[in-house]
Amino acid sequence: MSETTTPQEVPAEIERFDIIFRIQHVVMFTTFLLLSFTGWGLKYAHAPQGLSSIWIRVWGGADMAGLIHRIAGVTMLLDFISHVIYLIYLFATKKMTINLKTTVIPLPKDVFDVVQNFLYFLGLSKEKPRFGKFSYAQKFDYWAVFWGMFIIGSSGYALAFPMQVSYIIPQFVTGWIWELLWLMHSDEALLAIVFILFWHFYNEHLKPEVFPMSWIWITGKISTEKLKHHHPLEYELLFPEAAKKNKKHQGE
Amino acid sequence: MSNNRLSVFVAPLLFLTLLLLPRPGLCQESANCLACHSSMKGRIKNVSGALVELNVDAEKFNASVHGSLSCSDCHIRFSDNPHTTPSSGVPQAVLSLSTKLSSKFKVDPVAGAACITCHEETYKMVLGSMHGKNIVEKNQTDGALCLDCHGSPHYITPVKEENSPVGRGHQVETCGKCHGDEKIIEKYGLEENVMESFRESFHGRKLHLGHTRAPSCSSCHNAHDIRSKTDPESPVFGKNKLVTCGKCHKGANEKFVPAISHKRPGPIPHYGEKALIILTMGTFAFIVLHVLLEAFSDIRDAIFRKKEEEE
Repeated sequence: MSETTTPQEVPAEIERFDIIFRIQHVVMFTTFLLLSFTGWGLKYAHAPQGLSSIWIRVWGGADMAGLIHRIAGVTMLLDFISHVIYLIYLFATKKMTINLKTTVIPLPKDVFDVVQNFLYFLGLSKEKPRFGKFSYAQKFDYWAVFWGMFIIGSSGYALAFPMQVSYIIPQFVTGWIWELLWLMHSDEALLAIVFILFWHFYNEHLKPEVFPMSWIWITGKISTEKLKHHHPLEYELLFPEAAKKNKKHQGE
Repeated sequence: MSNNRLSVFVAPLLFLTLLLLPRPGLCQESANCLACHSSMKGRIKNVSGALVELNVDAEKFNASVHGSLSCSDCHIRFSDNPHTTPSSGVPQAVLSLSTKLSSKFKVDPVAGAACITCHEETYKMVLGSMHGKNIVEKNQTDGALCLDCHGSPHYITPVKEENSPVGRGHQVETCGKCHGDEKIIEKYGLEENVMESFRESFHGRKLHLGHTRAPSCSSCHNAHDIRSKTDPESPVFGKNKLVTCGKCHKGANEKFVPAISHKRPGPIPHYGEKALIILTMGTFAFIVLHVLLEAFSDIRDAIFRKKEEEE
């Protein structure tokens, strides 16, 4: 806590995600959970003791679980498309511009940050990496969805609507594409679930400093105090004077 | 006197026999046979060396679709107690068929052939199928006839009932008795791994989970009229698939029908899956390592480095 920053200059909190992003996130995780729950039963259909049959009955039987899975899948794809369209809109109207310190695009710096962070974890360095608006962990989280949409979303669409898709695929792939689509969908879905369970849940829920969860998903806001601590580069970018004073104060 | 004494013995025996008598619904003749056979246990060897199961569960027989038939409707050679053999009564069609089936039905080939008296069309279809030809033309014991799929002739239940071996719940198991049997697969050069790959397919999984419209074996391969996939009449031969798949998937085209072919996956899906597994395991290893190390360093910081940060 430094007395040199005046409250007029630096607000108590700033908006990190606007309402559109927050709605997109809620739709994303709701459909994700529905898809995971219903898909799990099919992936492990032959689980011992008929466990999966029981689990699928919880969701109203195989017919209903299939319907839920399709509706949730289409909704998630639409949610993703709406996100991309919104990004295009933000860039087109210059409401969002690419800045190396605020962009979510992976940069070489992220690789160095990973190395630095591991050195810090192992006690080989006392310096934590200094992150911009998005740490590599958050970038990883974000782009994992794109990867999931590309692999699971596209294969899921093909598997849900095989007849339509069969008209557009070329003849030479028909011998193996369906098998591959099914493997892609199933394996990457497992990866997505594991990823969310470990990575996202640890970083946004279980970490001591955020437990039980980071409330940004509802408020969209982050305190400048947290911002300074976790995203110093963004803080310096947004409040250069306060940051300078801070440094001077520390230097004294 | 002796009559009286006899009645002392006979009366309770008669009473016990009455108790054992199956419930009404059975015809008189069946009741007569079952009076003994419902309480008999074990097996005996008959003339041809086959083991004959002596017990017939009267209640189950009564509840089966054939509960109202009399025993000699099928066991034509056995007219009445005790097992007299009036061969004259056997119709020519049944008799000639039974000689062809003697390799299959060691116990009572006539009874095995007798199904044809009521189920003529179906039986002829089976005899002309891959399964039937193997028995009547090649004199093999493999190849399914009525009882191999429908179970014991005395307890056949409607296909819609849950315990029916040819119903949706158990059909895959039933076909798998032979099509999952390595000896039979090798002997006849059958497609390997079909039961496993069906179980793993979308159709197999959905069927297992109780999906009401998921297909079982007979949905695509037919039931009685089973043909080799190389037979142009087979529903899964070449372009016939368009019709077969089209029964459920309206508008099935040539690029759609390979979607479900339960064969071993080709090299592309095989190595594709390997690559995906490596990717999954690699990512998993990274995130688990990262999360554990980060948690460890957070704990370390909380205990040892708290003061340093405050300074």
